[in-house]
Amino acid sequence: MDRRTFLKGAALAGAGVGLGHLPGVARMEFFGTAAAAVPDYRAVVCVFLFGGNDSFNMVVPRSAAEYSVYANSRQNLAVPQDQLLPITALNPDGAQYGFHPAMPGMQELFAQGRGAVLANVGPLVQPVTRADYLAGAAALPPQLFSHNDQQDQWQTLKGRTVVKTGWAGRMADLLGAAGGLLPVNVSLAGTVAQQAGEKTTQYVIGRNGAPEFNGLNGGNTVNAGRRTAFDSVLDGANAGIYGRAFASVERRAIATAANVNAALATVPTLATPFPDSGLGAQLALVARLIAARDTLGTSRQVFFVATGGFDTHDDQLDEQPLLLGDVSASLRAFHDATVELGVADRVVAVTQSDFGRTLTSNGDGTDHGWGGHHLVVGGSVLGQRIYGTMPRLEIGGIDDTSGGRIIPTTSVDQVAATLARWFGVADPDIDRVAPNARNFPTKFVDFV
Amino acid sequence: MDTGSERRQRSPRRAAAVRGIRAVALAFALAGVVAACGGGGGGSGSPPPTPPPPPARPTAAEAYAFLDEATFGPLPADVQRVTSAGYDAWIAEQIAAPATFHLPVVQQLETQFPPPPNQGQSQADRLDAWFRAALAAPDPLRQKVAYALSQIMVASDVGALHGQPQALAFWYDALVRNALGNFRDLLKDVTLSPAMGIYLSMLGNQKPDPARNIRPDENYAREVMQLFTIGLVQLNLDGTVKVDAQGVGLPTYDQSVIEGFAHVFTGWTHAGATQANFARPRRNYLAPMQAVAFYHATGPKKLLNGTTLPGGQTAEQELEAALDNLFNHPNVGPFIAKQLIQRLVASNPSPAYVQRVAQVFNDDGRGVRGNLGAVVKAVLLDAEARAAPTDASGRLTEPLLRLVKLWRIYGAKAASGRYLVGSIEQTYGQAPGRSPSVFNFYRPDYQPPGELATANLASPEMQITTESTTATTASALFGLVFNRNSTMANPGANDVLIDISEELALTDTPAALVDRVAARLLGGSISATLRQAAIDQVGRVAATARGNRVAEALYLVVSSPEYAVQR
Repeated sequence: MDRRTFLKGAALAGAGVGLGHLPGVARMEFFGTAAAAVPDYRAVVCVFLFGGNDSFNMVVPRSAAEYSVYANSRQNLAVPQDQLLPITALNPDGAQYGFHPAMPGMQELFAQGRGAVLANVGPLVQPVTRADYLAGAAALPPQLFSHNDQQDQWQTLKGRTVVKTGWAGRMADLLGAAGGLLPVNVSLAGTVAQQAGEKTTQYVIGRNGAPEFNGLNGGNTVNAGRRTAFDSVLDGANAGIYGRAFASVERRAIATAANVNAALATVPTLATPFPDSGLGAQLALVARLIAARDTLGTSRQVFFVATGGFDTHDDQLDEQPLLLGDVSASLRAFHDATVELGVADRVVAVTQSDFGRTLTSNGDGTDHGWGGHHLVVGGSVLGQRIYGTMPRLEIGGIDDTSGGRIIPTTSVDQVAATLARWFGVADPDIDRVAPNARNFPTKFVDFV
Repeated sequence: MDTGSERRQRSPRRAAAVRGIRAVALAFALAGVVAACGGGGGGSGSPPPTPPPPPARPTAAEAYAFLDEATFGPLPADVQRVTSAGYDAWIAEQIAAPATFHLPVVQQLETQFPPPPNQGQSQADRLDAWFRAALAAPDPLRQKVAYALSQIMVASDVGALHGQPQALAFWYDALVRNALGNFRDLLKDVTLSPAMGIYLSMLGNQKPDPARNIRPDENYAREVMQLFTIGLVQLNLDGTVKVDAQGVGLPTYDQSVIEGFAHVFTGWTHAGATQANFARPRRNYLAPMQAVAFYHATGPKKLLNGTTLPGGQTAEQELEAALDNLFNHPNVGPFIAKQLIQRLVASNPSPAYVQRVAQVFNDDGRGVRGNLGAVVKAVLLDAEARAAPTDASGRLTEPLLRLVKLWRIYGAKAASGRYLVGSIEQTYGQAPGRSPSVFNFYRPDYQPPGELATANLASPEMQITTESTTATTASALFGLVFNRNSTMANPGANDVLIDISEELALTDTPAALVDRVAARLLGGSISATLRQAAIDQVGRVAATARGNRVAEALYLVVSSPEYAVQR
């Protein structure tokens, strides 16, 4: 569905008109404002930690032998062993682990079976060993260790190809018009490649809801006239291809904002408190949008939220507790809110980040790495487990490229494929969402 | 090792730089010859033909279009000067004009409006200084280019510099000072500015300590290459990417080169620091960083293009050698040329246009590499820049610059003289020196999904043009034109008001009013649709509500796609 089609859909949906004639639309769920409850709602919430989270300090080996390897590599940046928050996995690998001391919320979610750890995930085209890497024998995603390139890998799964869509955008393309008054893909953190589709578009919402266009809401002759004039200028835009792109965003913004805000207005205040942080505020709005799903007529959503500051080249020991504390508390609050809303088993939140960081220190911080651990939270998550393989945290060890940049053992494609399967994408189509997942021994990581 | 020859190459550049700006006009007369000779080579295919020179005596409309690119908004005096003296003379005057620096204003504001006890100075003072310069400084070309550079060599108050407006102003002034000077000087001044040192953690970077698994910090080494000078992939002179058999761009460097530069950039900290207090130096944000020898790595360092520094030189010597190595990489010309074109003129310049500008970067016609005054002139006066608009020529302007242009042309002022704009990034999606990361507000190659991506066209500014920011931008402009104009009763001292007195005299004739607004904000080039819509809307307002009549016309123009697009 392109932008124009979506707008038509939004306008018609308001009038209660179905859109059964649209080609390629598998799932017709455009509802008016008095629509019945949407069955089988599912939402994926992507929490992007911009800058490259030093996740080897987020989930840390606690047992003596493994901790010793970690501490020897990490030196002054190591989290003290006795401060780690212990977790006990249902699928033990022989070692014991703990969360960073700033993450009691995650510790609880893990213990309750609502949270899991995805070990050593990163962009990969195919499995890579240290020998492959050192010999140049494996196809690698280009520009490893570069922020924007690796963010792009996480979001598009493009590997060594040129791709202009993101994996969430492709999921939405495959599911057709499942979004109702909102597109499937909604970002609370600006434009992101992950949500770009060919047929579907991303909707960027503000942190307090959808900002409206002052002065265009009618009410009297002058205001109504201004709206008429404004619309005629947008439609008659005579400013070339950039003008048309600009006008199409404005049209979509105007058409959607009032619907979104009206739907949000129907949502009762959540009892669950959220942290007073940017991430907390974004996740609180996601919870409200989920609460408004029936009014919005949405049955499938991918929300993108983000927080920054993880590029801890400096002052890592001071910064990391604040960063990880916010992630933990925000995820915990969000999960609690989905429980409050009765949709905990219909919502999965997962972290993403540019890359993990070097095991080596530059004195008071770390540099750009590759693989890193991630978190997944939700009622449907098969929790209290660590998925994938924990790496050996040894500089020059079997999992190290060199300089403590750890080679991932689970690909982002496998994580995305697993989310796509849960989201309702049929298996043959999953290869279009996550094209490299089939290059691995198992296409899916069965965390949900 | 190549350092010696590279250092020798620098002396003609320095000599030429001090010969002064009168050389620039001549250099430009020669630049076309260089292009015709295909100097520098590279590129894919034969060199582009020499473009026809722009007209010696531009019309007012042509001058307006030129100044729309060269400044934050065409003012009548500049239009008059360009039409009477020509493009070359105006640019030469701009290059000769004394630079308007921001730091002195920030410092003066701190004295004039001291921050409350126990609070540091606010970034609001830095933005105030920026607006004063953007709206009214006598060196508008320099200010516009400095702002463009601030989006290439990015530092930001988001993060560790939050409480240091003067540190950021010192960095920004390095951009102002060198905007029309030499790129090599710019690179050094940016590299050693304490704000950059903090932002990309070169400040305090120290030599390796293998026993403790400590390696030099790679942050500045990586980003100075990826973002400030050469980029990730090898470029032809025309800015197109050199690719391997699979179509993947050939990398410009690998991890070992990053580590080499990271070792070069060790030992630097605040000016005046010593070995004893290197870890906790007395802070000096207003002087270039200095090196402490003990903390500088002494071993060999791998640089670009097969160059290796042998080690054993001073931190200062190695810094110069490494910056020369970067500066002389063949990517710098096309890399910087294309981004300056994108910031000033067009989102999708033709390869030939990029090549013509890159050639000027490589040699301004007098043997000088990196002459930014000449480069900027080549950007602005290229035939492609001055040609009649096509469907995909030009660019979407930055949301913030729509406000700046309105304010500049309408002489916006507060009684206090201040521009207290607050968190404008929350409205416009951007603010000077306030990027969310070193990757700026948008990427130069961003292609919005839809018609542009299908056509393989970039529109960086579309990356911050969202359902959210279009609404907040349009709403802010709505509020400003209706409620912050010169008809406002009892304005507050800090209310920034646009001066609409000229338009107030025209409100009885809606067509004349709209045409006046279009002349000022669109250079007279208004579509029939917009003109009629604005005339109709003005007519809906009571004739006695003269201020509102003006505001209606202003709002429809400043919220229109044709105002948002610069062609």
